[in-house]
Amino acid sequence: MKGLLRNNLLAAFSNAMIFSVFMLLWGIFIMAFPDRDLFIGFGLSGMAGFSINGIFCIQRESCSRWSKYKLTAPIRRTDIIKSYYTAQLVWLFWGMLFAAAASVLSSRVFRRWAFDLYTDLPMFALGISISLFLCAIFFPLFCWSRENRGEVFLVIALLCAIAVDAGLVMLLNMLLPEPGEITILCGTVAMTGCSALAFALSYPLTAHIYRKKEF
Amino acid sequence: MENILELHQVSKTYSKSDFTLDSLSLSLPYGAILGFVGENGAGKTTTIDCILNTVRKDSGTVKLFGREMGDEDTDIREKIGVVYDGDNFPGFWTATHLSRVMAGLYAQWDDALFQKYLEEFRLPPRQKIRSYSRGMTMKLALAAALSHHPQLLILDEATSGLDPIMRDDMLDVFLEFVQEESHSIFLSSHITSDLDKIADYIAFLHMGKLIMTVSRNDLAYKYGVMRCRESQFSALHPEDMIAYRKRDFQIDVLVSDVEAARNKYRDAVIDHVSVDEVMLLLVKGTVCKEFLRL
Repeated sequence: MKGLLRNNLLAAFSNAMIFSVFMLLWGIFIMAFPDRDLFIGFGLSGMAGFSINGIFCIQRESCSRWSKYKLTAPIRRTDIIKSYYTAQLVWLFWGMLFAAAASVLSSRVFRRWAFDLYTDLPMFALGISISLFLCAIFFPLFCWSRENRGEVFLVIALLCAIAVDAGLVMLLNMLLPEPGEITILCGTVAMTGCSALAFALSYPLTAHIYRKKEF
Repeated sequence: MENILELHQVSKTYSKSDFTLDSLSLSLPYGAILGFVGENGAGKTTTIDCILNTVRKDSGTVKLFGREMGDEDTDIREKIGVVYDGDNFPGFWTATHLSRVMAGLYAQWDDALFQKYLEEFRLPPRQKIRSYSRGMTMKLALAAALSHHPQLLILDEATSGLDPIMRDDMLDVFLEFVQEESHSIFLSSHITSDLDKIADYIAFLHMGKLIMTVSRNDLAYKYGVMRCRESQFSALHPEDMIAYRKRDFQIDVLVSDVEAARNKYRDAVIDHVSVDEVMLLLVKGTVCKEFLRL
């Protein structure tokens, strides 16, 4: 498991570093020219971007025989799937760190604006949710496919994740019409909870598909 | 003799390609090298996939170290080193990167040994694998396969596409590996000259069927090819023939006992046979029904 996780993280590491530099520059730009919309875009990009990069690098493995070779190593197939999901959580956490750092710096250190429950909290929930739905949709598709169709499944999973989140937001707006702190909190919890549930349910499904997969 | 690997009646059908690996049975003793020969598409890789559980066999049993290997049996896989034909590892890795990953996968990963192989094979550790030549890639795969102290090496076309010098280097490594009695090699190849040099046993596979398994000594000293004219051929007893191939002016007949054939058919010309020639006779010739029934 340690080797698999190292494999998944190292596979995405150099790309993640380039993306980190880009995020850092974007963060500096926001601090210099504060703009709330740019900040929200920054937070969402950070959380979704690192996840997309992580998935992109995992699917790239299937271009070589490594995905078959791994099965000959002393690891179980479920460990391989577990490592995929764990690596994605690491990248999500890394993206959240960027968003959180920008939020703290802008509101506490540089005092560009105060932390706004109505925008900042949903931004985190949406970023986490897109990222988790993305993984929940991508991995079963990726493991189900016999051919190397990682890129197209990544695009499909991303669009589906955004669509599911848009649907959830619409549903929550219908169910919780009164704006207020409780509504925001409930919406945030519902959104994060749904995506976490989808992520958790996706793991055994992917493991089941992968156990039957032939290489 | 105890076997490190045993396949019994292993079958696998791919419905899309109409290919069937048909009831394959063979065994590899400890301390031996088994050469697995067959034309492209004969089923060599499918057999290896069945051994390593990367595909699910339809029927039959595969025993490694005396046990059937399931997904949970990681202790068995710890003792197996694998080299596939082509790119075993992602091209954007370096050998250093590979070592770090392998150290997390294999409990017995020996980084010092891996570095020794890198040096011996002259592989730059910080260069991306994608910029390695084919020979370097295969050497890297072999170094990785050997660096966790396996007992069984499974090599799928590991020497194909290499120049004779690199092939010779790799064959030396294989021979050194089997110096230990508990070590064995299962080597699939269609480069028969390699097997002539190192294999103890040779298994011939053709269109998913194992036609015969023979020790290299028997092949060298007991087997032969009889050069017959039409009249001589028609006088041959079917049970004396393994396979025959009609050519322009003669018929080549593969026989399993040169001495017996010489005594029985005194006017026949009988030559010793190479792995290459046996393969040609089995693949391009006609295999006798009497032999298949044995």
